[in-house]
Amino acid sequence: MGKSNKIILTSSTKNLAKVRDFVGEQAAESGFDDSTINQIILSVDEACTNIIKHAHKYDESETIEVETSFEKGEFKIILKYKGKAFDPNGINNPNMKEYFSSFKVGGLGVPIMKKFMTKIEFDTKNSDTNLLTLIKIIHG
Amino acid sequence: MDFGDKNKQIIMEEFSIHTRKHDDIVLLDLNGFLDAHTSVELEKKFEELLAQSSNKIVVNFQKLSYISSAGLGVFMAFIENARNNAGDIKLCGMSDKIYNIFDMLGFPILFEIYREENTALDKFA
Repeated sequence: MGKSNKIILTSSTKNLAKVRDFVGEQAAESGFDDSTINQIILSVDEACTNIIKHAHKYDESETIEVETSFEKGEFKIILKYKGKAFDPNGINNPNMKEYFSSFKVGGLGVPIMKKFMTKIEFDTKNSDTNLLTLIKIIHG
Repeated sequence: MDFGDKNKQIIMEEFSIHTRKHDDIVLLDLNGFLDAHTSVELEKKFEELLAQSSNKIVVNFQKLSYISSAGLGVFMAFIENARNNAGDIKLCGMSDKIYNIFDMLGFPILFEIYREENTALDKFA
């Protein structure tokens, strides 16, 4: 049976440091090296930032539930939240040459998540609860 | 769970900017964690500098432990303005961990990134 841990946070950028600390501790306990832990932490930060900004529009009455589990070499972070559904898999990576030549701002969170995580899954339950799952396979 | 005022205070202090001057160049030393919460402070600093026509800026990352895309976005938001006014935002002193994020996304295409602060300063000469 895999180990599971959970925290529920007010949807606010003020809490990003708490999310990073929580996920970092769980990833370290699961045996990832420092470099991979940093990649996981950054990916979860980007996912939470997108939820706070786009799904909750900085409404601090909303919450994000962060649950981690580790089983058979697979570390999962499940972000459970209400609000506008957003599947990162539906977003194409930007053309970075074009991005820089037109001095664009934003839109780099999803490419970071896709680069650093093994797999990203998205599902909506009961029509209003979104589950964004970031998965990292050890040595994967 | 929510966090009390004490924790909020600690988190607020996890990023700071120290400003120095070298002739007409402004040096910014970044400390701590640059994320969607703390990047507002850096945004304000760039706004303030560019409003004062301080367009030659070197940012030293030596004491920065963490950056997310919100932090990267701040540099994208101000580089064009600085360059249009005969200046630039040059970056230096990054740890490998921080540089790898910039590099992975291709930031060296647009930004001058140097290991040493002196090299970044010399490039304004």
